[in-house]
Amino acid sequence: MNSVSAAQESAAQGMLRLGNRAFPPGQPLVMGIVNRTPDSFYRPAVTWDEAEAMDRVHQVIAAGADIVDVGGIPAAPGAEVDAAEEIRRTVGFISAIRAGYPEILISADTWRHETGRAACEAGADLLNDSWGGADPQLADVAAEFGAGLVCSHVGPQQPRTRPFRVAYADVMADVLDQVQRLARRALAAGVQRDRIVIDAAHDFGKNTWHSLEITRRLDEMTQTGYPVLVSLSNKDFVGETLNLPPEQRLPGTLAATAICAWHGARIFRVHQVAESRQVIDMVGAIRGERPPARAVRGLA
Amino acid sequence: MLTAAAVCPAPPLLARELTGADPVVPELRQACLDAATELVRSAPDVVAVVGAGEQTREFGPHVRLDLAAYAPALAHGGLHSRGLDRQSGVTGTDEPLPLSLGLGRMLLEQAGYGGALALHSVHDRASAADCAALGTHLAEAAARVALLVMADGSARRSLKAPGYLDERSAPFDAEVTGAIRDGDMPALLALDAGLARELMATGRPAWQALAGALSGPPPAVVIRYCDDPFGVAYLVASLSPQHDAVPTSGRERG
Repeated sequence: MNSVSAAQESAAQGMLRLGNRAFPPGQPLVMGIVNRTPDSFYRPAVTWDEAEAMDRVHQVIAAGADIVDVGGIPAAPGAEVDAAEEIRRTVGFISAIRAGYPEILISADTWRHETGRAACEAGADLLNDSWGGADPQLADVAAEFGAGLVCSHVGPQQPRTRPFRVAYADVMADVLDQVQRLARRALAAGVQRDRIVIDAAHDFGKNTWHSLEITRRLDEMTQTGYPVLVSLSNKDFVGETLNLPPEQRLPGTLAATAICAWHGARIFRVHQVAESRQVIDMVGAIRGERPPARAVRGLA
Repeated sequence: MLTAAAVCPAPPLLARELTGADPVVPELRQACLDAATELVRSAPDVVAVVGAGEQTREFGPHVRLDLAAYAPALAHGGLHSRGLDRQSGVTGTDEPLPLSLGLGRMLLEQAGYGGALALHSVHDRASAADCAALGTHLAEAAARVALLVMADGSARRSLKAPGYLDERSAPFDAEVTGAIRDGDMPALLALDAGLARELMATGRPAWQALAGALSGPPPAVVIRYCDDPFGVAYLVASLSPQHDAVPTSGRERG
């Protein structure tokens, strides 16, 4: 825990580059989740079948997703999925998306460098590591392919484990310390500065109180200058806060989305693309970063 | 001497910045720009802009419209301003330009005009005679004067109009449009100021200033736009005075 390093690295938000595109601050991106798993926590197995998964890709892109995030391993503990099986689940699918949508940004949700390499070869633009740099070679792969890299905070956790009595003197200080350390490691590995994204990783290595705290203080992350990704969608911190099962967590998710958008988050990883897009656009207009779609009231 | 005159409406939405991502009324903006361009083409020594305001007075050339009064987001820099002077608009020693004059100035700048300006507001309650006298005075301010009249018709033309529907609005606006189309300046001077106020037709004093500025035979008139897409009557017209033996129209069309 070191808030001094956070203060030292305080900087204005700059350009975010993904693939061959550049996104200035004030132009947040929506990342639509497509799980290639039989046991995801939210609507399990709904996109296990490849044709159904591709339908889901069509839907999230039609609904306005800028990025499609493809994952082959659920976050929760369960049956072992080794790198070969993870690659089998995701990489051919990424190739198919790339073939169908040459311009869409594709993210591979993985912590393993073997999967990351195969995903980049298939056309992925971003390696979305939710597990805090558990495999250091993932940064080398991002550097080699000119891909983006998500540097996330998981505290003391290992991949696919649940938090057990985690405690922090100051959870946001710990988040800032870990994600900036990972960002420096990525820079040293050769990942381009404007392709490094940081993520507090709600629910990962955190109880509900911790996730609420990092939501409330997300501006401390955006003040580092690194683009901030948030993955809030239907997560347990929303469910525990409102005492609701996954399929009833959309309003709570959108409330958290609005707060993170207000604090300047730039990538939102979501299940409900259209609803999230509306919230993000509305907050962007309130922040004064985007004009209303059409303003006539009182102006005629 | 008046070289040319134009009539344009002055809704805030004429400023492209204010309607958001959607241009909303591109055809209205184009019509206004065409009218302003024709004014500039008449090679005036000065362009006089007249429009309704809270008082009858002249504004100095440094005073600008404050668009942030309509869209505060434009002031804190998040949205780019497309060249309209919003920050420099408020000098601190003077109040910002009234909407009508500010939009008139905007149109002239869009038409590429960088010459002398005379910016004059006219009070809502000014008499027809006073409005006409102002128009005459403006027309005589230089050897060659072009006049831009910023004036709106009734804002009570439909149930969804800003002022709700008043059945008298349609005949009132038709009378104004007819008078301008026919170059019938006495008809403009005869407009009922009280009725205009009731119909929220804020253009009445400016139309009457036009009547005072245009002496001699009826001008040649082109109506460029006449509609009420939001329940407010918008009229765009170009007027070419026919007062001397050397018509400017030959050069304009050439």
